Amino acid sequence: MESSKTAAWILAPLVFMSLALPVRAEDDAPVVVRFEDRRFEPAELVVPAGAPLRLRVVNSTNEAVEFESFELNRERVVQPGHEIVVYLPALAPGTYTFFDDFHKNAGEGRITAR
Amino acid sequence: MRRKLLAAVFLGVAAAQTVRFERSNPPPTGTVQAPATIDAALRGACYDCHSNETRWPWYSAVAPASWLVHRDVVEGRRRLNFSSWADYALDCGTLVQKLEHLRQRVAAGDMAPWYYRALHPTARWTAAERNEFLHWVDAELAASSPDCRER
Repeated sequence: MESSKTAAWILAPLVFMSLALPVRAEDDAPVVVRFEDRRFEPAELVVPAGAPLRLRVVNSTNEAVEFESFELNRERVVQPGHEIVVYLPALAPGTYTFFDDFHKNAGEGRITAR
Repeated sequence: MRRKLLAAVFLGVAAAQTVRFERSNPPPTGTVQAPATIDAALRGACYDCHSNETRWPWYSAVAPASWLVHRDVVEGRRRLNFSSWADYALDCGTLVQKLEHLRQRVAAGDMAPWYYRALHPTARWTAAERNEFLHWVDAELAASSPDCRER
C-alpha cells in the first residue's frame, strides 16, 4: 500500500509534465493554409522559429493558384481542388509574407516565426 | 526660352540624383551548380539581375538610369535568384517550377531583355548557346523526382 502511494507521488508529476510538453506528432504535422474565396485562411500562421517546417497549401477554389513568397524563396502552382506540401528551412524569428501570384488582388498571408 | 528649358532639364536631372538606391550584393546562400559553359553563359547574361553577384555599372549610380537598374535587379532577384539555388532545392517543387519558367522565357527569347542585350554582348546568345542551355535545363528537370512535378 505504502509502495503504491510512493509510486503515485513519483508518477503524478511525471504525467503532469508530459502533458505540458509539446506533442511530437503534432510538431511533425504540416501547418495547413487553405486558399478559398480569394484569400488565404488563416491569413496569419504562427510557427516556431528555428525548426524546419512543412506547409500544406490547399486550393479549395476552382482556379489554379500560385503560392509565392519572395522572402521564403518559394513558388508553387496548386491546381484547383489539389494540395501541395511546401518545405521550408528553419526560419529566423520574423514575419514572412506570401501571396497568390495568379490573383494579385487576393489577400496576402503571413507566416510569423517566434 | 531654350535656355530656360535647358536649365529646367539640368535642375531636374540634378534633383533626380538625390533619390539614391543602395547597390548591394548580399552573400550568396547556395549558387547554382552547372557545367562551366552554362555557368559562364548564366554569368554573362543573367547574373546581373538574377543573382547576388551583380556587376553594378557606372550608370547604375546616375539617375534616372539608376532607378531602372535598381528596379530590374530587385524584381529579378525576387523572381529568380541563382544565388538562392540551394534554398530552392530544399523544396524540389519550387526548383522544378523555377526551371520550367526559366526554360519558357529563354525558349521564347524573352530573356535576357532586349535593352540588356543591347548593352551587354555576353547576353547575346547564339542559337547553339541557347540550345545548349535548354538542354541543360531539360536534363535538370529530367533528373528531378516525379513527385516534384505536381502540375
